[in-house]
Amino acid sequence: MAVTDSTLFQKNKDEMSPGLQGKKQDFPWWMVVIGIVIMATFLLIQFNPDFNDAFMVIKAGLSITITTTLIAYTIALVIGLLVGLGRVSESKFWRNVATIYVEIVRGVPLLVLIFFIALVLIPATTNLISSLGGFFIKIGLDSMGAKLVTVNNRAVSMNTRAIISLAITYGAFLAEVFRAGIQSINKGQMEAARSQGMSHWQAMRHVILPQAVRNVFPALGNDLISMLKDSSLVSILAVRDITQIARLYTGHSFKFAEAYTILCVLYLTLTLLLSLLLKLVERKISNDRK
Amino acid sequence: MIENKQPMIEIKNLSKNFGAVEAVNGVSLKVFPKQVLVIIGPSGSGKSTLLRAMNWLECPTEGEVIVDGVSLSENQQCINAIRSNIGMVFQNFNLYGHLTVIENITLALRIVKKMKKGPAEKIAMQQLIKVGIADKAKNYPAQLSGGQQQRVAIARALAMEPKVMLFDEPTSALDPEMIKEVLDVMLLLVKDGMTMVIVTHEMGFAKAAADEVIFMDMGKIVERAAPDVFFNNPACDRTKQFLSQILSH
Repeated sequence: MAVTDSTLFQKNKDEMSPGLQGKKQDFPWWMVVIGIVIMATFLLIQFNPDFNDAFMVIKAGLSITITTTLIAYTIALVIGLLVGLGRVSESKFWRNVATIYVEIVRGVPLLVLIFFIALVLIPATTNLISSLGGFFIKIGLDSMGAKLVTVNNRAVSMNTRAIISLAITYGAFLAEVFRAGIQSINKGQMEAARSQGMSHWQAMRHVILPQAVRNVFPALGNDLISMLKDSSLVSILAVRDITQIARLYTGHSFKFAEAYTILCVLYLTLTLLLSLLLKLVERKISNDRK
Repeated sequence: MIENKQPMIEIKNLSKNFGAVEAVNGVSLKVFPKQVLVIIGPSGSGKSTLLRAMNWLECPTEGEVIVDGVSLSENQQCINAIRSNIGMVFQNFNLYGHLTVIENITLALRIVKKMKKGPAEKIAMQQLIKVGIADKAKNYPAQLSGGQQQRVAIARALAMEPKVMLFDEPTSALDPEMIKEVLDVMLLLVKDGMTMVIVTHEMGFAKAAADEVIFMDMGKIVERAAPDVFFNNPACDRTKQFLSQILSH
């Protein structure tokens, strides 16, 4: 009797959750196919001189692609957290400031935004700083003014502008992720913390955010992967990432097939590795919880 | 004679509106030290709102709340310090899900009372022993039953050494078999002489533990009496009707 019961139960359990169980048991054919494509490309690179030549040139941009992404993402995390907090702030003023930023950034195409930030916003800011320096000199604060007045548009490299552009853009996306995370936490958590005498900020810092970040970790990871891909857009600022180098390479060699196949496979490899890594971390986090 | 002391909680003519809805409408009451006040009433009668106004989780539209001689409306800048003296237990426990049982208790001790980890944990363990779940100290809330979670929530509130404890339907979210373990802990507090205000539907508990029972309906106090009078010989028809509804089974 007991045996029948337990087998029945197991059968039911398998039938009831095909979605959850199925994913694990399903053989990942998709991964095999993509793996073969990646392998084939690397074999071509190994044995075909044209592919080899293209790869040797393009791989020089890998470090720019990766560092641009990582630095911009780190800054975007900070912006996103602050703006996300602003979006749920008790102060009407900060709520509005945060919303204006998010709505503007989300309403303009990324490519246009990169042009605007790199070629309008940053020069305007450097001009402002240098004229502020001039003002300091005028009112007699020479030592402070002298430093500021030399700030020049050209002092900000295109790499830096690319990073700032991506960070400002993704800051708005991540702000929405953080906001959703904070709002996903039952308001009883905030009430319990406040009832114990914590300030709004203490409750946020020690009770709400740690839980919110865990809830949105997958979404944060997705945005990192998106940013890795969108970092290709900075090639329009002549930043020498893998996309820009591939473009330059095809410009004089006309080896379009070789260069762009390699470019695709490089991005694919990077995003796959990254998503595997994120899955591992995600699993670790959810295991810690139990 | 008890009336001569300063009340622990005094509410003067308190009203709270949510838009056009008047949740609480001109309620005044006093709770004296060591007194156990039980508030009952149908849902939507304003009893939870009244309780939540006592530590300013709900800020009243009108009226005053005075806790231990300190007016909450006039001392908003030290509301956190005032709240740390008022323990609150919620219907849904509201334990911090990312922290273990012992961390749940030590968190406020450490960041509100600025205690070091060692002494805070000592206090936490004492409270866990008191509510009878010291063996679950390293577990996460999700690993506990509802009754255990609520007992941790009580221990968390007690660890702050509050002058008064507020209970907002502490057993309403529990499976029937777990209600007793929570009520037992609450009776322990009654015996210790804790000042308590309890919103509940547990009439047996109200009979056994309350010094006074308040019946609320439509945002107003309808009847207020000692439990034996309240349950055996209520004065108002509305109270009789309510009691006959809930005591008929």
